[in-house]
This record gives sequence, C-alpha cells and structure tokens, in this order.
Amino acid sequence: LQEKEELIEEWQPEPLVPPVPKDHPALNYNIVSGPPTHKITVNGKECINFASFNFLGLLDNEKVKSAAQASLKKYGVGTCGPRGFYGTFDVHLELEDRLAKFMRTEEAIIYSYGFATIASAIPAYSKRGDIVFVDEAACFAIQKGLQASRSNIKLFKHNDMADLERLLKEQETEDQKNPRKARVTRRFIVVEGLYMNTGDVCPLPELIKLKYKYKVRIFLEESLSFGVLGEHGRGITEHFGINVSAIFLSS
Amino acid sequence: RAWGLEKRNIAEEREQQKDFVPLYQDFENFYTRNLYMRIRDNWNRPICSVPGPQFDLMERITDDYNWTFRFTGRTIKNVINMGSYNYLGFAETDVNALKTVTKELQKYGTGICSTRQEMGTLDKHVELEKLVAKFLGVEDAMVFGMGFATNSMNIPALVGKGCLILSDELNHTSLVLGARLSGATIRIFKHNNMQSLEKLLRDAIIYGQPRSRRAWRKIIILVEGIYSMEGSIVRLPEIVSLKKKYKAYLYLDEAHSIGAVGATGRGVVEYFGMSPDDVDVLMGTFTKSFGAAGGYIAGKKDLVDFLRTHSHSAVYATSMCPPVAEQIIRAMKCLMGLDGTTQGLQRVRQLGKNTRYFRRRLHEMGFIIYGNDDSPVVPLLLYMPGKIGAFARRMLEKNIGVVVVGFPATPITESRARFCVSAAHTREMLDTVLNALDELGDFLQLKYSRYSKSSHPELYEETRFELED
Repeated sequence: LQEKEELIEEWQPEPLVPPVPKDHPALNYNIVSGPPTHKITVNGKECINFASFNFLGLLDNEKVKSAAQASLKKYGVGTCGPRGFYGTFDVHLELEDRLAKFMRTEEAIIYSYGFATIASAIPAYSKRGDIVFVDEAACFAIQKGLQASRSNIKLFKHNDMADLERLLKEQETEDQKNPRKARVTRRFIVVEGLYMNTGDVCPLPELIKLKYKYKVRIFLEESLSFGVLGEHGRGITEHFGINVSAIFLSS
Repeated sequence: RAWGLEKRNIAEEREQQKDFVPLYQDFENFYTRNLYMRIRDNWNRPICSVPGPQFDLMERITDDYNWTFRFTGRTIKNVINMGSYNYLGFAETDVNALKTVTKELQKYGTGICSTRQEMGTLDKHVELEKLVAKFLGVEDAMVFGMGFATNSMNIPALVGKGCLILSDELNHTSLVLGARLSGATIRIFKHNNMQSLEKLLRDAIIYGQPRSRRAWRKIIILVEGIYSMEGSIVRLPEIVSLKKKYKAYLYLDEAHSIGAVGATGRGVVEYFGMSPDDVDVLMGTFTKSFGAAGGYIAGKKDLVDFLRTHSHSAVYATSMCPPVAEQIIRAMKCLMGLDGTTQGLQRVRQLGKNTRYFRRRLHEMGFIIYGNDDSPVVPLLLYMPGKIGAFARRMLEKNIGVVVVGFPATPITESRARFCVSAAHTREMLDTVLNALDELGDFLQLKYSRYSKSSHPELYEETRFELED
C-alpha cells in the first residue's frame, strides 16, 4: 500500500498543452473587417479577395440579405433544439423539397454545419465490417468520417482509375474465397466532385462503369462543385451528363 | 408482412441495382421498422414560428400509419412549448431587441466563406471571444461554428495515443465521438459516482498503460455540467479535489448549464461557488441558453493559443457567421448587465423561480422525476414504451408540446418525457401544463411515486415545530 501511495506521488503528467512559440503564423490572425466579398479589408488594408470560397458571389447579394432579414423577423436567430425535438421549421422542409427538385433526386436532408455533413453521413451507412475505397486526396471531413465509422479503408491514388480497378479486383478474389461474408459486407467508394486539396475533377463516367461491374455504391461529395460545375449549377453529374440516380449519396 | 398481407413500405432498391449487397440488414432495423415507425409522429414536428414559449405547429396527417406524412395546411396555434432549449428566453423576434443583429446582417452579409485561419476571423469574432472570456472569468476563449463539432474536433487536438480519458457513463455523443477520434484509451465510470472515479484513477496511475505498463502521458476527465437526459448536476467540488490529488485534467462541457444555473447565470462553476481556474478546459454551446448557434472553449491563455494553431476545426471548418455572433454578443451583454438594464439578471431569477415551482408541484402530485432540484431540465419517468405515444399525443390535443425520448437515447425500460423550463414561461402557462399533467397522470397511471402524500402540506413550510415534550 505504501508503494502505491509513492507511485501516485511521483507520477507527473505532461503539461496539458505543449507551449506554442509566440510568433507562430496562425496565432496572429489577419483580422477582417467588413464583409468578405470580392474586395476584402484585412488588417486595415483593402485587398482583392482570392481566398474565400465565395464562388457565385452571393455573399453580398441584396435579395439574399432581404430574405434573411425577413426570416429574422419571423423566426429569430437560433432554433433552440435539434431536428427531432421541435427544431424543424417549415423553411427547413421547403428547402429540402427545393433541393431535391433542383438536383432531380427523390429526397434531401440538410445539416447545420458543412464539416459535419459528410463526417456524419459516412458512419451512418458504413459500419465496422464494411469496405470503403477512398481517394488519397480526400478532404479532412471525409477522413474524420471514415475514422469514426471504423470500416476497412483502402486508399487508391488520386484520380487513378487503374489503381481503383486493381483494388476492386483484389477485393473480388477475396470475396470468392469467403462468399458468406461477402454477401454481408457493403462496399462504398467515396469521391469528391471538386477536390479541395488538389482542385481536380473526378472522372465520373468511368466510376459509374466500375460501379456496375463490381457492385459498389458511390458517395459523391459536392461541397465545392455544387453551384459551380454543370450548366445550371447542379454539380458534377450535370457536368458529365449522367443520370443522378446512379449516385448513391451526394452531399 | 412476409405473407403479403400488409404493404411493404421500406425503401427498395432500383431495378438496376437489385443484386447489390443490401444496404440495411433486416435485424438492425427491427426496432426502427416495428416500434419506432408506429410512434414516429411525435418527433420531427415542424413549427412555423419562433421557438419561444409558445409556437404554431404545422398539422400532419398520416394515411398509412406514419410511413409518410401529409401536411393539411392548417396550423395549430399557440402550443405551449416545453421542448425547446430556450432556457433564458432569448429566442424572440422583438424588433427592438434584434436591432443590432439586423444591422450586422446588412453590413456583413450572411456567411463567411473561409476557415478560421485564412481570412475567417472578423473583428466581431475577436470582440466575441473577449466578451466570453470576461463573462466566464477566464483568461481567453475561442469560438467555433457548431457546438457538436467543437467537442469532436478539439478533444483529438488535446489528447492523443498514450493518454487516458475517463468519461461519465451518460456523456453526450459529441464527447464520445471526440474521445473515439482521438485514439486515446477510454475508461467509463458510473454516473456521478466518485468512488468509481477514484478507483479508476488509482488503478490507472499505479498500473500504467494496458500492455506496456508505461506511465500514462495525460489523464483527462470528461464531465458535463447538466446531463441532458437526467437533469443531474455534476458534483464539481469532489471532482476538483480528486483531480488535484491525482494531477489529472478536467474538461467540463456546460452545454445546458451555461446561462441556466448559477446566481448570475455563469454555469456550474458559479453554482458551486468555485473559481474557474480549477477547471482546465471549460466548454459550452451557445445554442441552448443564448438562442444562437456555435460553441466555445475557454481556459488559460496557453491552452487557447494552442487550440488556435492546432485545432482541426480552426484549420478545416468555417467559422461562425456574423449575425449569429452578434446575437450572442447582444445576449451576453444583456446577461452581464452591460447594456444598462437588469433584464439579464431578471431572466436568470425568473428561470430559477419557474424551475423550483415546477419541480415542487410535480413532486407533490406524485410523479417520479430525476435530477437535481435546481436544474431546468425535468425528466419525468414513463417507464413503459407503450405510454410514450399516448402521452405525447394527448398532450398535443391539449395544446402542449412535449418531448418524449425512448430507446436509442435512454435504456428501453426507462422512457421519459423531458420538460425544459424556460424563463419566458409565465406562471399561467406552467399551471396549464401542470393541470394537464395531473389529468393525464390519472388517466395513464403515471404517478408512480411511493412517497405518501401528507395531508398537511403546510407542515413542510414550517421551520420550527412545536414539539411536545
């Protein structure tokens, strides 16, 4: 017992956070004053803005602002509750209907935080024993979603369809060894429409061919390509002219 | 259903994909298909006005037993709201109160399209962080766009492999997700049980890591201020003394308790009269008491600086949008009294009065209620899952909207109805609700409490008895 007490006395934990050097670049933020539209005021200087994701320029649009003002008068600022417990407004449902019609899918759901969307959608479908083929340059939110879902992750080289096909063939040979398990494990491919890290577009037609050949479902992440690619802004499916019902989930 | 007697209503695959591996296993969905679908109309109810103490509910009818809903187009007006987390009543649309928010909306637009570290910090954020730090009495604070994401992104930044996390049994999903994503070892102690926690701490320090027997790098204790499904308040003084004795770190999640508990609304730290320096990481959300969205982490300056550089959400996720930040600034200034009125303090007092009155009356009527006497979250036990549907529908008929929770969030035999008392509720509203509860309690036999009701309730108020010697 004496020994135990001594051990407790001697144990020293690491400090909670390691000390940060005072001149770390991220510590001194560039403080932006004024709306981050095409011209932006950083630290007092006015610059042209090439850094925000404001692709369609809707940030400073008068129509958007007046609609927001009207809803502010009607609903206040917060929702004070998750969707399940009186947090669903009629505007949420209207937005979901409109999104579904616009994207020509059956239904749509909205989330309140962009990062959490894909990070929650992946673990909802892909559980511990399933197999997910992911591009190497997938964005951070996808990586966190995969980590939370505990499935087997197989990476393939960025935008390289030959590599993906090789992996799928390997998976198929393994399936034939163990057909009972293969009937139960689900297979997914996660790709992004416009990659956040490298800026390329993923080759969707080849992916669809692979999908029907090897029977995998496709998760398409369109955070950057929604509103940007395609004639009307419907994203990468319109850009390549593919029927959107071939995609399992688009976010 | 397998015999074709009833219709099959679950989502079916398209023709081309018929031989893909099925998405939903039959057994996993057993609960969802059979039990949840029958009472599904009690959740996700859409409302069409501000979620204040009363709101307008959209009416939904289902033709085929809750598989699909149809809106009739009528709205039920003035349903008393006992479900939204509107503790201090800041969910309001009074134009005067929202003057500053509309001004900011006009000036800044609706969103910020970049992450925190690149061009995402407005001067509003800096002002908000200073205000939060002043409100809580700590050195510095950092705000994030979403409360859930605050937990899941920052716990992995603070702990990694080789650390130990001790978390309470009933911690929220965001804390559990953050702990799992961090890669540290997780041990669970029984809810609010100090002996279990102490035993785990001693074993951890003496025996070290599970296989290599080396010492742990850090030990961190995750607790919440008020637990949302129980209503119990954490035993902070005892945990702080344990933490000091065994040199562990404390992470306090005040999602429900900030603004709602404490003499001036500063949370559990003030409720127990302790200094905020004892808690290493104070975390909270603005969704519940302040009527906005987002979360914060506060503590010593080194900690917050570290998070500014190393937190995942600072690098990858967008920051809070300006009108929301302005709403929090307004609410906090009102609470601290900086805008010149005593409205903030009045709201906190009103919440305390409402809470105590509500709990006392429910207890006298004979219901079983969990939780500490001062917490505004009141779970009322309805032990049978069959009563969930009946309770919620009857209350809706009487124009009262309640929240019922069943299996996934609570154990299946302990389903409950959860009331959230708000500072915006008046005495008459609470009385209406209590009378309705009285009738329903007799009808559904919910008054399980075995306390014998005394026939002289006035004796409870007496502080000095005349004892017969």
